[in-house]
Amino acid sequence: MNRKLSSLVFVLAMMASSSGFATGLATCDSGPEENWKPSTELQAMLEAKGWTVRRIKVDAGCYEVYAVDENGKKVEAYFHPLTLEPVPLDSEKAN
Amino acid sequence: MHSGKVTRASRVLIWDLLVRCFHWSLVVGFFAAYFTRHNPGPWHEWIGYAVLTLLPIRLLWGFVGSRYARFAQFVRSPTHTLAYSKLLLAGRQPRYLGHNPLGGWMVLALIGSVLATCITGWLYTTDYFWGLEWMEELHDGFTWLSLMLVGLHITGVIHASRHGKENLPAAMVHGRKRAASGNDVD
Repeated sequence: MNRKLSSLVFVLAMMASSSGFATGLATCDSGPEENWKPSTELQAMLEAKGWTVRRIKVDAGCYEVYAVDENGKKVEAYFHPLTLEPVPLDSEKAN
Repeated sequence: MHSGKVTRASRVLIWDLLVRCFHWSLVVGFFAAYFTRHNPGPWHEWIGYAVLTLLPIRLLWGFVGSRYARFAQFVRSPTHTLAYSKLLLAGRQPRYLGHNPLGGWMVLALIGSVLATCITGWLYTTDYFWGLEWMEELHDGFTWLSLMLVGLHITGVIHASRHGKENLPAAMVHGRKRAASGNDVD
């Protein structure tokens, strides 16, 4: 019973600590960060399209953008840090 | 009842149908939301809304439900809870038919933490809070807190099951527990 209990607590602790990991939604083969185009350039590019950029994070080598697009729609989109091109989600690529 | 055997007649219904359905729906809902958190598509959000619907039902039931479902039956004063905790540490705590004092506070903590997880998650999807880092971190923080509480809850349930020589997870399925005897607190 004690071993069962400790493995359960271990699993719960692992689940709680995994929040900083890549989401697996999209992946970019983008190499070291010093070669990337700066996120400020991506932000300026998107704002020129009429987007309001709320946040840019890094997820699995991609820039992950939270924004409101030119139509007022909330978007979560991925961009390649070397090209600043949109990156399709892994789930979309599979289809 | 000196044979130590418990007959069907000496078992009483403690957890009503709503309490049991709520409990297991919350377990399924919480973990379904957890495992769909990075899925594309609306699954995570819809599961969140479902959980957010469950919680107020249980809160209302805490005032109008059957005896052991009511907060007034199982939310004990800090003094009572502290006294129980001391007995627990000494291994001399009585068996409670409903929630024991620590279990009662755990019910409130779990409902509160999961509710906060739902609300912060929903807020993150609104125009106003969309993409704001602190809101996402608040949502993650309450998720983490809920997981910790679940771990503590299960630890408490296993401990109380062994101490009271009864299967509490099974009681949350069929609702019945051994009737009060000796020092048991009804």
